[in-house]
Amino acid sequence: MDKARLLDIFRHMILIRRFEEAVYDFHEQKLFGGHYHLYIGQEATGAAVMASLGAEDRIFSTHRNHGHLIARGVDPKNALAEILNRADGTNGGRGGTFHIADASVGMPHTSALVGGSVPLAAGAGFAAKLKKSGGIGVSMFGDGCFEEGVVFETLNLARMWELPVIFVCENNTPGAVLKSAGGNNTSNLPEGRVIQIPEALGMECHKVDGGDAEAVDVLFADCAARVRATGQPIFIEALTERWPGNYFSFPSMVTGVTQVSMAWDGGSISGEHQEWFLNHDPVLRFARQLLVSGVANFGDIVGIDVEVTETIKAAKEFAQSSPLPGTDSVYAHVLAGEG
Amino acid sequence: MTVMTHAEALVAAIRECMDEDENVALVWGSLMGVGGNNDHVEHIKADFADRIFHPPISEAAIAAIATGAAMDGVRTIFPMGTASFMFRAWDQIIHEAGAAHYMSNGAVSIPAVFHVVHGLRGGGSVQHSQSPQSMLWNAPGIEIAMPSCPADAKGLMRTAIKSNNPTVFIDHQKLNKRSGEVPAGAYDIPFGVADIKRVGADVTIVATSLQVVHALEAAETLSAVGIEAEIVDLRSLVPLDEEAILTSVGKTGRLLVVDEAPPRCSVASEVVATVAEKGMDLLKAPPVRLNRLPVHVPANVALEDFVGPNTDRIVEAAKTLCG
Ligand SMILES: Cc1ncc(C[n+]2csc(CCOP(=O)(O)OP(=O)(O)O)c2C)c(N)n1
Ligand SMILES: [Mg+2]
Repeated sequence: MDKARLLDIFRHMILIRRFEEAVYDFHEQKLFGGHYHLYIGQEATGAAVMASLGAEDRIFSTHRNHGHLIARGVDPKNALAEILNRADGTNGGRGGTFHIADASVGMPHTSALVGGSVPLAAGAGFAAKLKKSGGIGVSMFGDGCFEEGVVFETLNLARMWELPVIFVCENNTPGAVLKSAGGNNTSNLPEGRVIQIPEALGMECHKVDGGDAEAVDVLFADCAARVRATGQPIFIEALTERWPGNYFSFPSMVTGVTQVSMAWDGGSISGEHQEWFLNHDPVLRFARQLLVSGVANFGDIVGIDVEVTETIKAAKEFAQSSPLPGTDSVYAHVLAGEG
Repeated sequence: MTVMTHAEALVAAIRECMDEDENVALVWGSLMGVGGNNDHVEHIKADFADRIFHPPISEAAIAAIATGAAMDGVRTIFPMGTASFMFRAWDQIIHEAGAAHYMSNGAVSIPAVFHVVHGLRGGGSVQHSQSPQSMLWNAPGIEIAMPSCPADAKGLMRTAIKSNNPTVFIDHQKLNKRSGEVPAGAYDIPFGVADIKRVGADVTIVATSLQVVHALEAAETLSAVGIEAEIVDLRSLVPLDEEAILTSVGKTGRLLVVDEAPPRCSVASEVVATVAEKGMDLLKAPPVRLNRLPVHVPANVALEDFVGPNTDRIVEAAKTLCG
């Protein structure tokens, strides 16, 4: 058991949680417009996946990208500035919440079209194979992507061309309002589960509790090592209980700002979302695991939270004071210059 | 007359057509992009459960299923939501739906409706702000309807459903909640008949969809400085009411076309080209295209506004043209 590694994963998880709370606050304050998506409830998967990836690896995300970027090490200042469409944003403010990306950390482009980034990640595997870089492509995508044909085509190609790619399907359908009730999209097949599709292609497939950071870490570390060694693609379905704030088209902070003390102070948990706090919130779950296994004590956890909360507070101030890009900026980079 | 929102008018048209013709089917997603306005579609859900199909995120397959069903006379309305998503179904709409009638030498027709919501919507960023009308206009065999107000939305939607051609029905996110008077009872508005939304003698402003609303606002400002704009709302691109455009330009001698697609090969380009070919002698000044800038749409709403045509820019362009 690598104590520092587990604490680092936890630090990223709570950083994502505080980041998303800040995004919610910005939206409530109408500091940015339009639709947006939060990663709350899925922190364990993103943070644990990134723990096994290096500089040569490329990661592609979706509309629900914030957590992936933060876990990968993008500075929260620039990510928050991007969400406010400011000049200091990761994309110079032109992408916004749907498209946060940062080529300098190996996340070159984020597609908000369902399934859009899955083949891009296979493309990164293709490039790694061609250039013998030792890197791998990683696709972080939602279960809804299985409804788009291009995802099947990509899985098939990754197998045929033996591309070093890990497909991480974050299935957040459990607990979601069913489609028939007008809720969010779900991906259960008429008979069975999405994992049967890559299985049918003969791909190595795994299922994991996406709310259990340690389980994801153990599995993903093993898969990443094997993909590097064999060059063969692997599929992982990370099942996560849907965060109760993610039922409707706009997120709502029904579970309130997270109190890490709920991890040890069961008496402070009550009400409608009791079940979420006790069994599903991945941040609280991991805090409990760290306490039980002796990796951390209460003080360590509070200490990490305080540090991370400060980081996000400073990032909020930075983002809000960053200027808007000038109107002239709209003309830049439609086409690339000479190579 | 009753007052309805744009979204309610669309729903009323669908309701009427489903009542009138049991071969009308509906793919039920976030209907017409009405999102939070879904309340006024509950009655359709309740009354036509057996003709409603809930879609997975599969634009291409659903567009082609609607096309295949159309070959057997089923009239499917497929709302795809944000127009950017329809690119997934481009092949199916252009090569299958748009070509089947021609390829069968007229034996087969495709009465399907593909509804999308185009344009600058306030924070849609690069991948949720497309205006595909001019790209579609470049493909033969597809009707294109673009209403600007609730009354037109209703009459045009009825025509789209009854039409034996595939119709792409292009709405705008910013129109959905706008209200307007809608005539009582069932009525169809034929395609290919532009509507003069305002009469004026000094400049012809040709527009579609939300830009008609902007042009009407601009016309008030222009009137205050003595410029009377005539506003021609095309309502459909295919078929195109060339006569209405030429008649208005014949009267004013000046043409400004407002369009949310980027300028090259745009709706504005096509209208200007048509007038150049058929009415060059009517023009007192070179015609003007006012388009979205030829760039992607940035996330920032201020910059989004900067790249798009808007009321102020219409005023400016019309003043320069008449100056
Ligand atoms: C091609 C396309 N069609 C439709 C949409 C609208 N849309 C955005 S998110 C979403 C649901 C995606 O579900 P999933 O992939 O499971 O991701 P989750 O939001 O659950 O994380 C849909 C339908 C889109 N962005 N792109
Ligand atoms: Mg999902």
